[in-house]
Amino acid sequence: MQKNKAFQPDFKLTPGTLGEAIQQAIEIEIATIPVYLYTYYSINRTPNQQQIITDVSAALVKQGKPEAEAKKEAEEISASIMVFANKAGALIMSVAIEEMLHMALSSNLKQSLVGLPELVGKTPKTWPAYLPGHEPEFPINKGRLSLPQLMTFLEIESPSPLPDKTKLLKAIPYKTIGQFYDMIVQYIEHNELAYNKDAPQLIPGKGYYAQNNVDTIFYDKHHKPHLVNDADSGDLVLVEDRASALKAIHIIVEQGEGNQDAPGLNPDYTVNCSISPADYDDPAMKEFSHFEKFSRIYCHYDFLTKKFAGFGMEEKQFAGYFVQNVALNPVTADYPANIQTLSNLLNAIYTYIFVMSEGCYKKAGHTQYEIFMFGIHKSMIFILNSLCGDIMQQTYTDKKDGLTYKAAPTFEDYAFDPASSPKSQLIALHAEVVKVFPGEAYLGQRFQDLPDVAL
Amino acid sequence: MATIQYDLNADTQGCGGTPVTTNIPLELHVCMGLNACKGHDRFGTNNCAGTGQCATAEAHVCHTLNNCRGQGGCGLYGSAEEQDLPGQNECAWQGSCAVPIQAERFSTLGNNMGRSTWLLARKLFEERMAKAQRNVGEAPFKCGPPQKWLESQKGGFAACGNSGDMVCSFGFNNKEDDGKILCKGDSVLDDE
Repeated sequence: MQKNKAFQPDFKLTPGTLGEAIQQAIEIEIATIPVYLYTYYSINRTPNQQQIITDVSAALVKQGKPEAEAKKEAEEISASIMVFANKAGALIMSVAIEEMLHMALSSNLKQSLVGLPELVGKTPKTWPAYLPGHEPEFPINKGRLSLPQLMTFLEIESPSPLPDKTKLLKAIPYKTIGQFYDMIVQYIEHNELAYNKDAPQLIPGKGYYAQNNVDTIFYDKHHKPHLVNDADSGDLVLVEDRASALKAIHIIVEQGEGNQDAPGLNPDYTVNCSISPADYDDPAMKEFSHFEKFSRIYCHYDFLTKKFAGFGMEEKQFAGYFVQNVALNPVTADYPANIQTLSNLLNAIYTYIFVMSEGCYKKAGHTQYEIFMFGIHKSMIFILNSLCGDIMQQTYTDKKDGLTYKAAPTFEDYAFDPASSPKSQLIALHAEVVKVFPGEAYLGQRFQDLPDVAL
Repeated sequence: MATIQYDLNADTQGCGGTPVTTNIPLELHVCMGLNACKGHDRFGTNNCAGTGQCATAEAHVCHTLNNCRGQGGCGLYGSAEEQDLPGQNECAWQGSCAVPIQAERFSTLGNNMGRSTWLLARKLFEERMAKAQRNVGEAPFKCGPPQKWLESQKGGFAACGNSGDMVCSFGFNNKEDDGKILCKGDSVLDDE
């Protein structure tokens, strides 16, 4: 991994290096987005409950339980899986949404203090990836929902330096995302900086950011809905002075890691499953921090794994009820030609979301509004989500290991040709997809409706 | 005002299907019970304001897919401001959710958070009719069209989102009760 200068002992923030540091913050936020989205889409949020009841009943009868008693217990357990799968999905999506907010907040910061944020082409290009500049480095995979994947999420969002896995006597300069931002906070607090109040930013009050939606809902055992983000947990901030700059950073850090004194991973690298007030990111204690959201999923997953082990079921079978069979770190080139067309289109719209986001920092007023509301919202919520669902209907045999997997969104930056507009290329890519998958024609008008934003 | 090109073939009638054909320009609205005029529902047969069966606006499944002003549903996506104005968006693609609005749908943000989206749409509609000094009849379903009823119509019903069916049971609740809390005007949300 290329070391970031901002983490070197001799690094000093100056007017000349501030832009580099904030850009690094932006790229940290961007790096998390494909990781969380990949795991999110690996989850089947509506498992086949009857299959779980049948399997668990059979396992319990095999252990000697009377049939009626086994069925009743199996129904209870099946409901817990139904709730868990949906809740895990809601929590991970809620974090992904907030990472996009953080990308915008750090971009506002850069736009105000330095200049245009760079958002296009910043998705990690090789996997496993590493958080830009994080020490110690740890591998980050695009992986299905699992305990190791959740541990990676906890490492990303850790509020305290990661415990020493290597047991070396020599101290390793551990860092957290919070410490990175703290360095910028210190600089802002102690220097008189010029804030550009005229350059376009993504600002509150325009409907750009919504804390909750149907995907951050999960239903409990009695099918009562719960939202996992609090409506007041944070919003966009117009960065125009020191106070607003600090407010933007405060939201990023608090949502990610919770309060400063929140516990991180245990010294033995296990997860602390208890809840303390510091695990919330809001004073009303209605929303968990990212770290705690992932802790909740990890602990629940671990509990259920052990419970199913008691029925003689391996983790693989238990996870198979709600985790899709997707490969680790797939790339488009792994797929057969027909699926590649779909994957290219998916990556192109994924990349175009960043093109449009960057476009929002070049245009203000109604043009910015149209790019965001009609472009980014439509792409994120409808087009990308639809393509993710569609590609996962396909299966392929991986040449590397000979195993069959479901195709999955690879979230790679698509290399738009600068000779024509990205929108025209999206329309052409969609036409290619329709030749292979005629059922994808339903998205045609939606691509036509997108704003035309240049690279 | 837009004109829907209706299809006289009765087999295609339904809240999700192609509306019946008429040459009369219709006001486009997003759901059952939100029509301002006689004959302005999807079947063209309703008698008076507020009694129509189905939307005249084009059915669609998600946020940002509405064609024009006042044609967006609401409730599951979008900002608090958008969710406070179901069926009253200012322009194309500014609707926050699918059309039609099933009775079980609730707002995820805004002043109506956790409460019925259809009841809010109906309240806003009745306020508009009061301003216009028009009488409003009862909707065919007093809390909006139940999802199961919409699904039974020709053309079916669909709305986007990944969190599962809004009318469901894991075996520990009566799924027919899902809409009752909303129908009373209460919130379905619990604080966690």
